[in-house]
Amino acid sequence: MIVSTIGQGILWSVLGLGIYLTYRILDFPDLTTEGSFPLGGAICVTAITNGVSPIVATLLGMIGGMLAGLTTGLLYTKGKIPVILSGILVMSALNSVMLFVMKSPNLSLLNQPKLFSLLSFANLPANFDVVLIGLIIIAIVIACLLGFLNTDLGQAYIATGDNEVMAKSLGIHTDKMKILGLVVSNGLIGLSGALIAQSDGYADINKGIGVIVIGLASIILGELLFGELTMIERFIAIVVGSIIYQLLILAVIKLSFDTTYLKFYSSVILGICLIIPELSRKFGNKKGGATND
Amino acid sequence: MTNKRLKYAVAIISGILFISFITGFDKSKTGLTKQPQKVPTIGVLQFVSHPSLDLIYKGFVEELEREGYKDKETIHIDFQNGQADQSKLSSMSQQLISKKPDALVGIATPAAQALANQTTDIPIILGAISDPKAAGLVKDNNHPGGNITGVSDQSPVEAQVKLMKELLPTLKTIGVIYSSAEDNSQSQVDRFKTVAQKEGLTVKTYAVPSTNEISQMTHVMTGEVDAIYTPTDNTIANGFQTIVSIADEANIPIFPSVDTMVEEGGIATIGINQYDLGVQTAKMVVDVITKKKSPSDTPIYTFQTGDLVINEEKAQKLGITIPKTIKEEAKK
Repeated sequence: MIVSTIGQGILWSVLGLGIYLTYRILDFPDLTTEGSFPLGGAICVTAITNGVSPIVATLLGMIGGMLAGLTTGLLYTKGKIPVILSGILVMSALNSVMLFVMKSPNLSLLNQPKLFSLLSFANLPANFDVVLIGLIIIAIVIACLLGFLNTDLGQAYIATGDNEVMAKSLGIHTDKMKILGLVVSNGLIGLSGALIAQSDGYADINKGIGVIVIGLASIILGELLFGELTMIERFIAIVVGSIIYQLLILAVIKLSFDTTYLKFYSSVILGICLIIPELSRKFGNKKGGATND
Repeated sequence: MTNKRLKYAVAIISGILFISFITGFDKSKTGLTKQPQKVPTIGVLQFVSHPSLDLIYKGFVEELEREGYKDKETIHIDFQNGQADQSKLSSMSQQLISKKPDALVGIATPAAQALANQTTDIPIILGAISDPKAAGLVKDNNHPGGNITGVSDQSPVEAQVKLMKELLPTLKTIGVIYSSAEDNSQSQVDRFKTVAQKEGLTVKTYAVPSTNEISQMTHVMTGEVDAIYTPTDNTIANGFQTIVSIADEANIPIFPSVDTMVEEGGIATIGINQYDLGVQTAKMVVDVITKKKSPSDTPIYTFQTGDLVINEEKAQKLGITIPKTIKEEAKK
């Protein structure tokens, strides 16, 4: 139970990392997320049901997300459409793209191979296949991101987010940087969509509803609990934040609250987390919000 | 300082994983070491609240009671409602399964899929899934072959088309409005099309991505068709009032597939009573928990006929005369 929740948290954290790239570094509210997430799942599941290997299918889901991000980026930089609007346009167009890809609103993976069945030979305890594969993917993603951010290109990308005017004066093509950010970010979001679809066992065109909240929750929890961090710690904090968020949701379900109102509870949890630093400042409590598990 | 806190968090999570990993090898994977319980436990996962699905659940609970399984006394029903939030369905399924239930019930397709993905040994009974095979839940509707069986809410389309032709002898073109985002609807619309075309009707289909497009689409429809047909569809159920008000303006009758929708402004249908779906689901659950039947060789239950329901007030307004035979047949 708790292991599977941790596994879910790890898979969802890929989404958090993707959102972090645009939301925190570039200060973009990118709404493409709610379209690129289910798109990754749709492409991946369609590929698997057509006999493509799960590894390739997962990568295809990621590429689908990247293309969605590219579209948003082009609308925003070349078309001069505000970024929120570009994201919304792409998000709602993707609904039809998914229908076109899957030929139905919902596609099941029952009795089909998944990325996680690669470990079936190892005879692991239940749910550890998801945890292990998730950890491997997270390790690769974080390594790639750190590698990228430490190159000249990555530094230029961070500079664009910090101060666009200054970045421009240094000869950085800020438009290109924004497109790059949206492509990488939505690639990761598509990847996490592909992973979640495989762990849930189906893809559905409505899977994107509310995922931004989950991604933001992992970022916010990571920032709240661990404060100022270096880049690598920041990424790990997002993974931890994502796991803690899933555990909080599990706690709400476990405590037999009426799950009909689950969205209300998750908003309250997030609201409380956001208020904690303010409260601790008021009451002089030095502990900025300990975990309440 | 902060750095330390992150280290602790990672260490705690790793610790939990390590301990679970070590203990995970000792236990059998699926909890087959179940002690016989005195009171059977049923886990129910409903996808979203709306009148039809709520009625299924109501029928389910009341039928169990009639069979001697009263909730909290002689049976324990564990109910979770996903409220259309698919990201929570898998956590909810795990929560239900962790209580080691004797059977699971999934109401609507995504809920059933979430359950099916989590367990291959606990029996799952489907409530309200038009075509379990198409949804990838069973190998075959007559020989499920796994841990899943249940009740299909496929409506008796042949009977419905016959009824339309009896009420509207001049009917030529019928428009179908349905959600492009639901698995259930597509298979129903395809069946309706085949049957109606065989009967010599022209079928025009109008798919909507969400409730927001219903109004626009209905306006277009009313200019092109003689009557409207709606499948059993969550999106359409939610936006049904919109269709009714626009169709009323244009004096176009609506033939829904669900009896509750006739009361809400449709003209007539031969529909499966949603409550009866729940009753049938409960009967199958009882058969499974008393070990009378096993899911793998219990065919998916499909209703051959339904209840004839007529909205006479609406018929009068639209100037449609209802033949006596049909009036007598309709249950009051």
